[in-house]
Amino acid sequence: MRALIIDDSAVMRKVIERALRQAGLELTEVLQASNGEEALQALRSDGGSASPIGLIVSDINMPVMDGLQFLEARRDEKLAEGVPVVMITTEGSEPFVLRAIAAGAQGYICKPFTADQVKARVLPLLQVA
Amino acid sequence: MLGNGGVNVSEERIARLDSAVSEVFEMMLDRSCGPVDAEIGIHERITARIQFSGAINGECLVYASQTVAQIAAEALLGTVSETCDPMVEDAVGELCNMIAGGWKSKLGSSEAVCLISVPAVTRDGTLGFRDEFGTSYHRCYSFQGNVFGVALAFQS
Repeated sequence: MRALIIDDSAVMRKVIERALRQAGLELTEVLQASNGEEALQALRSDGGSASPIGLIVSDINMPVMDGLQFLEARRDEKLAEGVPVVMITTEGSEPFVLRAIAAGAQGYICKPFTADQVKARVLPLLQVA
Repeated sequence: MLGNGGVNVSEERIARLDSAVSEVFEMMLDRSCGPVDAEIGIHERITARIQFSGAINGECLVYASQTVAQIAAEALLGTVSETCDPMVEDAVGELCNMIAGGWKSKLGSSEAVCLISVPAVTRDGTLGFRDEFGTSYHRCYSFQGNVFGVALAFQS
């Protein structure tokens, strides 16, 4: 599976990738973006891929374009439709969660997190998708 | 109380900070971490700063020596990092982000209606707060003997 990880911290992108692999995901490629705008560009470029992205993991609080703006732009542009999106963020308050779900996020994990939490919340989405 | 240099900060807020720091280190670094009575030298200090704005206006700082920052980065990443590796600054910024976010999440619902900034990381050793933040609190923590500091400041 190919995944797209969006976080302005390169450290967190590595930590999240490690957690996904620990959860049992066989990742053939991990695309990385440091903000929502870069992520949109990656999805536009990936549109005709023979092996499309199967999972998107995004932070919320990022410069340039945050994770909620990314979700809304992705929905409006109809990019990667049907691909599960999981938010991994320090913003755990209800307004953020509700806005993320309304904009198309299927999963929500608050930092700090454990590999077990990632496994429990990501794997069911992939089995359904 | 250990390292309490501030005034008008409730013990409840401090307990939330202890809990937030402990959770970040337990869950993300697989290390136990608790408060200690210590001081962090200014030499080669790395400081990460997060700002709160909204129901709470204030800042959260995480600061550590280069050596401790590097050890924390390695524990977070699970790999060895090099001296002055930009990933070390990134890791301290992300620790600050998670501690500030964890602390915020433990506030009451009315207080928690605030935004947190992306972290800013410096190596100039400064810990200054903006003038309007009249209430500040510094506390040191240790994981496996490695000491770092956390500071909170609020608008009075």
